[in-house]
Amino acid sequence: MSGNDKLHIIVAETSPIIGNGILHCLSIIPDMQIKVVEVNTYADLVDCIKSTNPEIVIVNPTFGGSFDPQQLKADANREYKLMAIEVGVMDKHARSLYDATLSIVDDLKTMTQKVKELIKSDDEPTDDKETLSQREKEIIRLVVKGLTNKEIADELYLSVYTVNTHRRNISRKLEIHSATGLTIYAIVNQLVDLSEIKM
Amino acid sequence: MQRRKYIVSDKMSDLISENYFLIQVISRFGIKVGVGDKSVSEVCEKFGVDCTTFLTVVNFIQDGYSKVENLSELSVTSLIDYLKQSHIYFLEYCLPAIRRKLVEGITLSSEDVSFLILKFFDEYTSEVRLHMEHEEQSVFAYVNRLISGEVEDDYKISTYSDHHEQVGNKLKELKNILIRYCPNNADVNLLNDALYDIYRCEQELESHCMIEDYVFTPAVMKLERRVKDNER
Repeated sequence: MSGNDKLHIIVAETSPIIGNGILHCLSIIPDMQIKVVEVNTYADLVDCIKSTNPEIVIVNPTFGGSFDPQQLKADANREYKLMAIEVGVMDKHARSLYDATLSIVDDLKTMTQKVKELIKSDDEPTDDKETLSQREKEIIRLVVKGLTNKEIADELYLSVYTVNTHRRNISRKLEIHSATGLTIYAIVNQLVDLSEIKM
Repeated sequence: MQRRKYIVSDKMSDLISENYFLIQVISRFGIKVGVGDKSVSEVCEKFGVDCTTFLTVVNFIQDGYSKVENLSELSVTSLIDYLKQSHIYFLEYCLPAIRRKLVEGITLSSEDVSFLILKFFDEYTSEVRLHMEHEEQSVFAYVNRLISGEVEDDYKISTYSDHHEQVGNKLKELKNILIRYCPNNADVNLLNDALYDIYRCEQELESHCMIEDYVFTPAVMKLERRVKDNER
């Protein structure tokens, strides 16, 4: 996911009653950060998909007169999940062209489930509030002292691959991605002393 | 929050007074306050700004970045002027002001992490500078050639959005570091002031990126198609 890990959705719907309703509902889905933008022509839909790479596109099957999901895939040439806004009744074939459908009578809970279902990934769910393991602290100490991943691997008898995994987990848990940021963390938490740092 | 959409016949003074955060936007288009009783279109004309482009950007911002429209009728030249002005604002005004407050507020002592916080900030600033310079030197330059009718096969505006996501994340990191690890001997008022500025700067950067992604880039794609069609 891009940017600040916000889920990114484009809505193509010409009715302001339905369009604004969807924008509003998406903005109040609990514990999901969603960035949603509405477009009102087919050309704008294609261009905005190209320029912003959304995870989900929600579209009314009557958008722009008659809307063709396969044509959009070809025109936009990006990976995204396509969700139909079901206003009337859709037949089986029409439904099969979309990854999911969102009925205008769905309640917020159903809508939330459908959106979450669409973006479900195979990754293990991760708890962001985990604390650092002893090993991870040890690695921070060495990173801050200026060692490369290879040197850290040698020092701790680990593979470079394992060191990389640890570093990714550290970044995720602390929300710190830069070496300077890690140094600040390490000093404040007394993992290293100011005098040990190579600037 | 849903707000009403502005149209050409609205008074410019109403538009400004109802949305004080648009003051920045207006000045980036080169419009100065002191607009009298003139309408949006009259003021735009006076300052040589494309009115449709102005209203598209204004309406996109004031309804919370939730709708874009008129993308096929925009003046790419006006958009480039707008984006360049906002680069100048970040690099010459906003970031240096935050740095001054950080320097005054936290580097009272060399015994702690304050110099690292400043180092982090300087790294961040130079990243933003590089990113914006890249935009001006390659992206805007390409678009200007496109406006004058030159077609290039090897570069397309759609490659541009790929470059363009880490700048905001790093500011978030700076904010986190200040909130969590700032030395206790910092001057509270100056530090709070710096934090407020960082939050505002973060919002402005986000706004800037939204306009680049949802207004500028799609508008350039349409221009690319027009130029290619003319070639044939």
